[in-house]
Order: sequence, then structure tokens, then C-alpha cells
Amino acid sequence: MIGTVGAARHDGRRAFALTAAAFATGLALGATLVFGALGLLGEAVHSRFLVLAAVAVAAAAILSDAAGLRVRPQIHFQVPERWRRTMPLPQALFLYGLLLGTGVTTYVPATAAWALPALGIALGNVAGSLAIGLGFALGRALPVLVLAARGEETLLAERPQGMRALRVLIAASLLLALVASEVQAAGTVAAPAGDPSVVGADLAWQQPGVGGFLSRNGVKTQLPGNDPAVGGALVAWHAGPAVTVAARDTLAPMVQETIAGAQKLAVSDRWLVWRSGRQIRVQPLSDPSRSALVVEAKRVAELGRPALDGDLVVYHYSTAAGSWLTAVNVANGTRRRVRFARNAQLLNPSLLGASLLYVRASRCSQELRLGPLRGGKDRVLFELPPLASQDSGHDRGHTSQGEHVPCPHRPKPTTRILWTTALSDTTAYLTILRPRRGGRTVPTLIAVARR
Amino acid sequence: MPELSLTEAIAASTSRRGFLARAGRLLLGVTGGGFLAAALRAQKAEAYHFCGHIYTTGSCPHPVGLPRIDRNGFPLRAVDGKPVDDLGRPIDAVGRPVDARAELLRDPDGNPLPPAPRTRVCTAAGREFGFHPRIDGAWYRCCNGHVRKLVDCCGAVRDRINGDAALTGYCYSGRRVFCVMYYDTKIKC
Repeated sequence: MIGTVGAARHDGRRAFALTAAAFATGLALGATLVFGALGLLGEAVHSRFLVLAAVAVAAAAILSDAAGLRVRPQIHFQVPERWRRTMPLPQALFLYGLLLGTGVTTYVPATAAWALPALGIALGNVAGSLAIGLGFALGRALPVLVLAARGEETLLAERPQGMRALRVLIAASLLLALVASEVQAAGTVAAPAGDPSVVGADLAWQQPGVGGFLSRNGVKTQLPGNDPAVGGALVAWHAGPAVTVAARDTLAPMVQETIAGAQKLAVSDRWLVWRSGRQIRVQPLSDPSRSALVVEAKRVAELGRPALDGDLVVYHYSTAAGSWLTAVNVANGTRRRVRFARNAQLLNPSLLGASLLYVRASRCSQELRLGPLRGGKDRVLFELPPLASQDSGHDRGHTSQGEHVPCPHRPKPTTRILWTTALSDTTAYLTILRPRRGGRTVPTLIAVARR
Repeated sequence: MPELSLTEAIAASTSRRGFLARAGRLLLGVTGGGFLAAALRAQKAEAYHFCGHIYTTGSCPHPVGLPRIDRNGFPLRAVDGKPVDDLGRPIDAVGRPVDARAELLRDPDGNPLPPAPRTRVCTAAGREFGFHPRIDGAWYRCCNGHVRKLVDCCGAVRDRINGDAALTGYCYSGRRVFCVMYYDTKIKC
């Protein structure tokens, strides 16, 4: 390929540039078509199994390329040679690029090439998959174009250690990408910090014992109160019973009132919602003199922190008989149970449009889930092991036949607890509680890419 | 003639009575000990997966593993008898999660963390495997110095949790044993 592209140099720099551009465009287009389709497929069938399988393929590819093993499997096909004789060179190079860009129609120089389609599907995201594809296209185009421009057609063939070094480099890049994606997938925003609330680039949270904070484009501002919430163009906080609703951009107070026992707030352009004791109440911002009950918890039940998007309030209701998430339209009073579990705990939902983010703690795992508000298939954005260990399932000295353990894979339990959530267009925010002495917990606020 | 012991009887037919009596004693001791050890091994090999259980029906699904229950059928942690919720966490009397020191877990505001569901073990088995659960009868055995009540979780089922044919056990009215649980009483034995 280096020789074919390099041949254009004989017709002048302009012809070479045109040929190189055609080759690069073909590569980019081929990669876009294939990896775009893989991204769409991944969005449709996203699952943990796919992610694990892709990571396993990537790990095998890293080992293979780092150790310089023979690249397997291989597709025993080469681009049609006659195209360079029967077509204008830019057209032939464009078509060669198109074939090479797909990554799956010819010999591949490194095992890592097989990991890329797998990762493209596993990402479950078209943009991410396209980024992988374009990176692949760039990686294929650069050596060809650079060596063709320098007229070093036989360099790679004469110095195989160059290809060996390239494969080690590819393995290192793939490893780095995997590690970086894991780091980027769940990064700490602030600690100790919890109870997030987000609108666009504005993120508010509570620092225990200190107060509320608002972060805008990375600039952190302490608010004059606790339990801040952002929504619409507004921000709310409270200092004891004194509740303030202010403009989000200027922090200029718009409504100030006294609400006895107000603990957790949620705000939108039209409504202020708060939890106090065993009740969640709502108040129209146009008429602070009246408020209405949204829900009241019965004895031995717990109400979660309310979240508000437009006219819709969501909250969890947790009892020993089951737990559920309810959405209430505070404008017309309609309410709907959007999730229910008899043997798992559903906690602290947040809402953005038709998307619902919440925590599901079950016997064998704790999950941060994102799914359609009206129900359907949820995606797991973040996962921790379960909160309790299990025994062997049989008495000491007895046979294991007949035992029935709750989690067959025997996960190692954690004391960390998934807690409150917030949802933006790009990011899911999550509080993780770490138990300390005396039963108290310390929160850490993390961000998880929605993908 | 004085009554001979078994070892003496083994050696009685020989003239070197004293030596052979001792040798016979040794032989019987070795073979007897071996028999006892073999019997214990056989007992272990044939034993079921928890003390007091007979037959081969498997445990009911339980948040911790061993199917220990309280007198109302709710799950207890087998190792220490602490009540647990469906997530397997130790809880207080009203179902709120506690830490290893039995102190109530609280959120950063100091409020107790919410209770998780807690389901009777037989009820949970019925939900998971799709039958109407009933507890009909029970039997008792002495385990670890206390009377253990062994409880059948019954249902109108043909197959038990193991996947093969269910037995009648202590189930009535045509119901059969789907899985088994136990309740450790405080009565010494």
C-alpha cells in the first residue's frame, strides 16, 4: 500500500496529496460505516456480558501483541491489485481505504484489530464506537502516508523489528485506553460530598457539616445554606427552616419562606418540593402561601429524597414488604408506580425527561441503573458488590449436596452503600456512603459517564 | 468355667494363651477402631447438608445460605442467629440495617438508612419458584446441644428444589416438600 500511495509522488506533490487524501478519506469512511453500525448494534443489545467479553478479547489482544505472537485469526484476503491498474490512482486508493477502514476485510497487522470491533459493540454508544473506528483509521493511515511521503516503501519489510515495536505500542495503547476508560467511567467529583443535583453544567451538592456547594464549569461556590437543589433556572437551599429559592445564574433570592422541618429540597421553574419528616410536600412558586401533600409515609416505611423534573416528582418508598419508585405529576395529581421490587431495595431516583436513574440493591449486587421512566430495559451504569456475605450453605463436616447459596459466584461483599443520584444529559452522579464507627456514614460524590 | 472375654475367647483355642490374648486384644482394638472410624466416615458421607436434616431435599433459598429461620419463618444468619433482611444485612427489631456492632446505620444527615424488604423464607421460595407455599409439619433433632426444629416448606409441587421428584415428608393434603429450613430452639438437649 505504501508503494501504491508513494507512486503518486512521481506525478507531483499535488497528485500525491490528492491520492493520500483519497486513501485517508476511504479509511475514515470505511471505519465510520462499520464502527457506526457496531455502535448502533451495541446500543440495541447492551449488556454486561458483552462488556466482559470485549474486555476479555482486549486482554487477549494486549497479551498477544505484547508477546509478539502470530496474529490470529486472519482473513486471507487482500485488496484487489488490479484496481491500481484499471482505475485512476485516487479512486483506487479511495476504494482500498474503504476496504482497509472496515478492519475486517483484509489481513490485520496486530491482534488488537480484533479487540476494536468488540469494544465498539460493548461501549453501547455510537459516538464512542465511531471514535474507536476513526482512531483505527488514523492508525492505519499514518504509517502508510508517512512512509509513502518519505519514499521508504520497503522499510517495514526490511526491518521487522519496526512492526514488532509497533505491536508493542498498540498493546500499550489498548491497555492505557482500557485503564483510562475505567478511570473516566467513574471519577470522584468531591469528598466528603453527597446528595447531588444537576442541570446542564451546574452541579450542586451537600458537604456534611459544612453546607451546600454549587459547581459551575469547574468553579466551586459555597451556598449560604444546606441541601442545595438546582432545577430549571433556579437553585434552592435552606438554613434550618428558612428556605431560599434563587436565580441559578446570579444566586439572587426570588422566594424566601419558613418551612418547618424541611430537609431535602427539589426545585423546578414552577415548583418547590421538600421532604420533612415522613412527608413530601409541594408548593407552587407562584403562590408560596399554599402547599399540598405529595405523599406521607406510614409507620416503619421510609421516604427518599425527592427529585423534580418539570412537573414530575419522583421518590422512593421503602418498607420491609417491598420498595418502589413513584412518579407524581404535581400539576394534575396523577401518580404512577414506575418501579417495584419485593426482594430488592430501590433507592433515590432522579429524573431527566423520559430517563430515570436510580439505585437497585439486591442480594448479589448494588447497581446504578438508567432506564426509561415508563419502564423497560434498564442499563447498569455502575455496580458494587453486595452488602452482606454468605455462608457455605452447609454445616461444617456435612456434605454440600442440597445446599443453596444466594450468589453462586460468591461475591466479596462491600460496606460501601450506593445512595443518592442525579442525572444530566451526559453524566450520572452518585453518592457512595462509607460506614464509620457508630453507624454514621461519610459520603463521596462520583460521576459516571452515561455512555 | 469363668466367662471369657471376646479377646480371651479368640485366644482360647491356642496354647500360648497369654501372648495371644494380648495380641487378640490389640487386633480387636485396631480392627474395632478402624470399624468405628469407617462407621463415622460412612456417617459423614451419608450425612445431609445440615445437622438434623434427613433425606436429600435441598435448602430453601435464604439470604445468607444455610436456611435458618426464626419462629415466624423470617431469615436469621446461621452463624449467630441475628435477623437479616433480603439483602443479607443484619437488622434491628424494626428491619433497619445495623453495622457489625449492631449500631444503626445512618445517612450523612443522621437519619436511619431505610429498611430493605424482609420475606419469610418459604414465601420467598414460593415466589421464586411459582407455587403457593405452606408450612404443614416439622420434626425435631438435637443439634449443637439444642433442640432443632426442622421445617418443610410445602407446596402443590411435583418436583422439589433439587429438580427431581418431591417427597411427601411432613406435608399434608397432597402437598409435597419443595425445600427445607430449620429453627434452632433454646431448649437444651
